[in-house]
Amino acid sequence: MTTRHNAKLAEALESCRPVSPAKPNILKMLLAIQSALGHVPVNTLPQIAQTLGVTEAQVAGVLSYYSDLRTQLPGRHLIRVCMGESCMANHGGRVFRAIQDHVQVAVGEATPENRFTVETMSCAGNCAVSPTVMIDEDLRGRVTPSDVPSLLGPYK
Amino acid sequence: MKTTRLYLANDTSSLAAGAGRLAEVWSKRPEIQLIRTSSRGAFFLEPMVERDGPNGREAWFNVAPDDVSRILEGVGGTPVATIPFLRQQTRFTFANFGVTEPLALDEYQKRGGLKGLAAAQNLSPEAIVEELRLSGLRGRGGAAFPVWKKWQVAQQAQSEQKYVVANADEGDAGTYCDRMIMEGDPFRLIEGMMICARAIGATKGYLYCRYEYPAAAKAMQFAIQKAREADLLDCDDDSFDLEVVVGAGSYVCGEETALLESLEGRRGVVMAKPPYPAESGLYDKPTIVSNVLTFATIPNILANGGAWHGSLGTEGSRGTMALQLGGRVKQPGLVEIPFGMTLRQALEQFGGGMAPGARFKAVQVGGPLGSLFPESQLDIPICYDAFAKAGAILGHGGIVVYDDETNMVELARHFMAFTADESCGKCTPCRVGSVRGREILERIQSGLGTEADLVLLSDLGETMKSASLCALGGRAPYPVLTAIEHFPNEFRGRLKV
Ligand SMILES: Cc1cc2nc3c(=O)[nH]c(=O)nc-3n(C[C@H](O)[C@H](O)[C@H](O)COP(=O)(O)O)c2cc1C
Ligand code: FES
Repeated sequence: MTTRHNAKLAEALESCRPVSPAKPNILKMLLAIQSALGHVPVNTLPQIAQTLGVTEAQVAGVLSYYSDLRTQLPGRHLIRVCMGESCMANHGGRVFRAIQDHVQVAVGEATPENRFTVETMSCAGNCAVSPTVMIDEDLRGRVTPSDVPSLLGPYK
Repeated sequence: MKTTRLYLANDTSSLAAGAGRLAEVWSKRPEIQLIRTSSRGAFFLEPMVERDGPNGREAWFNVAPDDVSRILEGVGGTPVATIPFLRQQTRFTFANFGVTEPLALDEYQKRGGLKGLAAAQNLSPEAIVEELRLSGLRGRGGAAFPVWKKWQVAQQAQSEQKYVVANADEGDAGTYCDRMIMEGDPFRLIEGMMICARAIGATKGYLYCRYEYPAAAKAMQFAIQKAREADLLDCDDDSFDLEVVVGAGSYVCGEETALLESLEGRRGVVMAKPPYPAESGLYDKPTIVSNVLTFATIPNILANGGAWHGSLGTEGSRGTMALQLGGRVKQPGLVEIPFGMTLRQALEQFGGGMAPGARFKAVQVGGPLGSLFPESQLDIPICYDAFAKAGAILGHGGIVVYDDETNMVELARHFMAFTADESCGKCTPCRVGSVRGREILERIQSGLGTEADLVLLSDLGETMKSASLCALGGRAPYPVLTAIEHFPNEFRGRLKV
């Protein structure tokens, strides 16, 4: 744990400390922490619970419920492939397999040198320009399996 | 130096199609003044670039950076007014798309914006609800409930605090009109929410936006800030407080009671109704939860009168519907037309048939819980009643076309797996039924299924339909059972002999 990490965590915790009459909001807190640290480290649960005045079980319950909350830090670049119906219909499944073949790692895990993590995502609202692949903040449309190497190349 | 003004959309899908690359290259050229607009929704033509011509805008399609000289010379453009995909639409809610800069409040106002709110301010709350009754507007989020009835309940509820919540979870894959509205015409959504606030007496509003829509959330935050600075959020003596809240990836959080749980920061689990949110919703206060498109439709209704809206469309389906074409059609994009056209017409006239080289197999209407239609059933009119009679839904207007390379057993498995993943776990038919359903389909897929499995799947489907707490479990069997109904040989052919 670096000092920087701790400062960011403290700031996120403070930003969501409930001020009466506002009620504690667990999801908002978890999103704030994820946005600050890139994930929600499980060892922060006691501090979260204490700051919000709720139980650790309640925090853990919310953390496990939402698929976009993560407890592991992803690789330097997060590749998300849409599995929505428009992307499926446009054979996004083939793009997904091409990406997996290219980076050679199981879904949700980081590559050995920590360059990429590959995940599926639900509809990005880019259905008219599908199949959709999102790399970090960049949304790509009309992706074909043969695009994959050049698509991933710039992300070091 | 002479500068030429070029219009380029800043919509997420326009960017994904390549508009961002154009902006990057062209922003370095002093002879180009780049205006970043919303998208017209003709996404198959994106990136599309426009400039002013003698008879309105002219457009260049599927533009690459090198096309710039042609565009600057004015060679080869098409008048926007002649593009069939756009010309054949009836744009009311999406009238500004492709024309204005999303965050320019003055442009919004110049094109008729805020007239609905002004009209509402001259009406009593009861009279606003009466206009909505006349309009025949039904919610566009999926359940198609008459908007006025819901508003009336919240209006008559006695409470010192009431809430307005825009449902911007847009969970149905294949739909994107809410995203377009938030990114492209955010003041229309704010105006609709403010009319609702006035009608029911609410002073606080939330916009619950899905995690996958960061650009939409940002645009709404900017627009709210601008509206606040322009004193637009002041209503009577009170000021309307509006806040954007981002979800965290759960389909069921689009269901209104689960959404409210999530807004309060808990697990987004579905609650039994009654009480309905209009009576007891967020923090147990009367709350209107409506879809983004529903709110965005309301300013025009107040500006033009409920009767105007009530004259569009068909008997039980008044107004226009925003269809969102996706999948293997040739021309995917947003289509706003009055209710009543057949599905076949919509797919041919706007979809332009199939993508090059693809052959039609089936079309799914209404998102991941929507039924599949084969070729032989495309003559169904697009309206709530006809769809209800066919056991189908229009949902939020998503239309996804599948080609003949689609494996129906795999697709059916995908649907059940989706429900199994997304079930909130509150009711047994959905929580357990979806997992059993997925297992049966996996068995069939691996060649170990039997005739009895198909019977079991059908029984299971009936139980889920009738006993689930919400439409997730209740509708999940439809795409699966319609796949089996229309493509029985694909399933039978996989059974163990
Ligand atoms: C599983 C499930 C998911 C839903 N997802 C959405 C959604 O993403 N957006 C939406 O507006 N309504 C969604 N709804 C419908 C809402 O419960 C609610 O009916 C709607 O927000 C009301 O707004 P409206 O009257 O404007 O349609 C969903 C319903 C269910 C059962
Ligand atoms: S289905 Fe993939 S972006 Fe909508």
